[in-house]
Amino acid sequence: MASIRMKGIVKKFGDLTVIPRLDLEIQDKEFVVFVGPSGCGKSTLLRIIAGLEKVNEGDLYIGDERVNDLPAARRDIAMVFQDYALYPHMTVRKNMAFALERRGMPKAEVDARIRRAAEILHIEPYMDRKPKALSGGQRQRVAMGRAMVRNPKVFLFDEPLSNLDAKLRAEVRTEIKALSQTLQTTMIFVTHDQVEAMTMADRIVILKDGMVQQVGGPEEVYRNPVNQFVAGFIGSPTMNFFTAARCDGGLRLADGTKVPIGGKQAAALDRRSEAQVVLGVRPEHLRLAQGGDGSFEVTVNVVEPLGSDTLCYFDFEGSRHVARLDPERPVHAGERIRFSFDTARSHVFAGGDGRCVF
Amino acid sequence: MSETWIRRLNAFQLLLVIALILLPIVWMVVSSFKPSAQVTAYPPTLIFTPVLDNYRQLFSTTPFGSYLVNSIVITVGSTLLGLLFGVPGAFATSWSRVNWPATVTLAARMAPGALFLLPWYIMFRTFGMIGSYSAMILAHAVITMPVIIWVMLPYFDNVPRSVLESAQVDGCHVPEILWRIALPMVLPGLVVSSILAFVFSWNYFLFALILTNQSTKTLIAASFNFIGEGATYWGALMAAATIIAIPPIILAFVVQRWLVSGLVMGAVKG
Repeated sequence: MASIRMKGIVKKFGDLTVIPRLDLEIQDKEFVVFVGPSGCGKSTLLRIIAGLEKVNEGDLYIGDERVNDLPAARRDIAMVFQDYALYPHMTVRKNMAFALERRGMPKAEVDARIRRAAEILHIEPYMDRKPKALSGGQRQRVAMGRAMVRNPKVFLFDEPLSNLDAKLRAEVRTEIKALSQTLQTTMIFVTHDQVEAMTMADRIVILKDGMVQQVGGPEEVYRNPVNQFVAGFIGSPTMNFFTAARCDGGLRLADGTKVPIGGKQAAALDRRSEAQVVLGVRPEHLRLAQGGDGSFEVTVNVVEPLGSDTLCYFDFEGSRHVARLDPERPVHAGERIRFSFDTARSHVFAGGDGRCVF
Repeated sequence: MSETWIRRLNAFQLLLVIALILLPIVWMVVSSFKPSAQVTAYPPTLIFTPVLDNYRQLFSTTPFGSYLVNSIVITVGSTLLGLLFGVPGAFATSWSRVNWPATVTLAARMAPGALFLLPWYIMFRTFGMIGSYSAMILAHAVITMPVIIWVMLPYFDNVPRSVLESAQVDGCHVPEILWRIALPMVLPGLVVSSILAFVFSWNYFLFALILTNQSTKTLIAASFNFIGEGATYWGALMAAATIIAIPPIILAFVVQRWLVSGLVMGAVKG
């Protein structure tokens, strides 16, 4: 078990700078998820921690030890790869025992660790099979088991669920979360799937172009995104964005609808100088309205009934938006419907740098 | 064109290729059992009483058994030496993704053997190694090593990078990753490259002609003795060639399955 500290990390591949400069601290026993779109540097960062990539600048500490020059073999970390990376010529048992045996661990201890991991992961029936005789889900468990028996300082997961079908992904997600609570070891999980990030993490690190956009708990990044990128990346369906101009007492949308803003939010808005801003509203914060100030009428394009709620898609000033509605209220494609904003829970982002005004 | 005609054309093509490949071999084997006078007779005699005279001549007039042992020692030695350096070389090339060292070895293989011969002759003579097994094994490693590197390279490239990295994370150092993880995954390639290296070394003539002496002469160089200025003993030469051809043919049959799958695998990799 160990904390991880990254100070001024820079990573380049030739002329391409993947991580311009990054500082991050991960606490001991914390479950941290790196999330971001493809090419944001999240896997590179994980590989740097693993020792599979060298940094160009900066310092990396695992516990109190600076590990920049320590090879992967001596960092005492375990990693679960996207394609599981099991040794195809070894049985499941040999795969799990490999790292322990080469360290010279007594056989009884190796057997005990393998037995315990196999029990936790329910892979006892497959111990003498080779990886090619296992399904994707079973391979995934073996890969986790191989990491578990090591009892490492840090667990690293590089998008380990991306090759599983949706049902299995949800199951394994829950298992990994439960495992993190049982093992009480520092875990870093990389994914591009924000649902995985939200459901598993103690803290989420949102990355874009190799830069940390925000670090915080799932609730925090969902409710208080620091910028428009985070607001758009976290949440499913994504946040709706409306271009708006500032006006007396609030904002005016592109179609002329006036959205009244008051209280602390108005004060925050007054401190900014931009004339153009972006109003961000989560699908569940669009309310059905009868009329009045701040409401606007649209035509429903697509309706997705999910059972627990209904997603209702519509176009507004050339962009597609979505509202999450009560399933008890029947909605039909083609229906004219009026919405208003729950402004207390909406956000405004600066037109230029996209930073959150409130 | 109808299906039947396409099938007939395919069969004809196949027979033609088989005939082109097998005819010289059949000719060689049949001639080795012909009486001396009939070997070069024109028109060729197809019906004859097989005799073992040529084989008797081979073993009675020359120390053919010791030539056979020399060939085996030099071929096995150079194949092992080629594996010892070629396999780690191919792995390092694949691992580092730097191809130029492998290309250099290929250039050495492509160059005519005569290019090496003079410097080697001088070098080995300086060290008193002419006529030794070690000189021939070293010289033949230039034949075997590039073959092994270039056959093994696509196999190593096909090993998923993550499996090797997983071994790194599991605590293995690079030589250990090669030995315990990568090598078991490329066994078909190892077999294919060993056989090709063996065959190339076994059949290589030029170095043996210059770098051996009477006690280390190989089969292929010794068989040349049957071609003289005044007379050529075709029957004995055919018998020698038949014996020389046996080990590679047996090897090819024994590991046929791996050879075919191995060559296909190498070919598929772009």
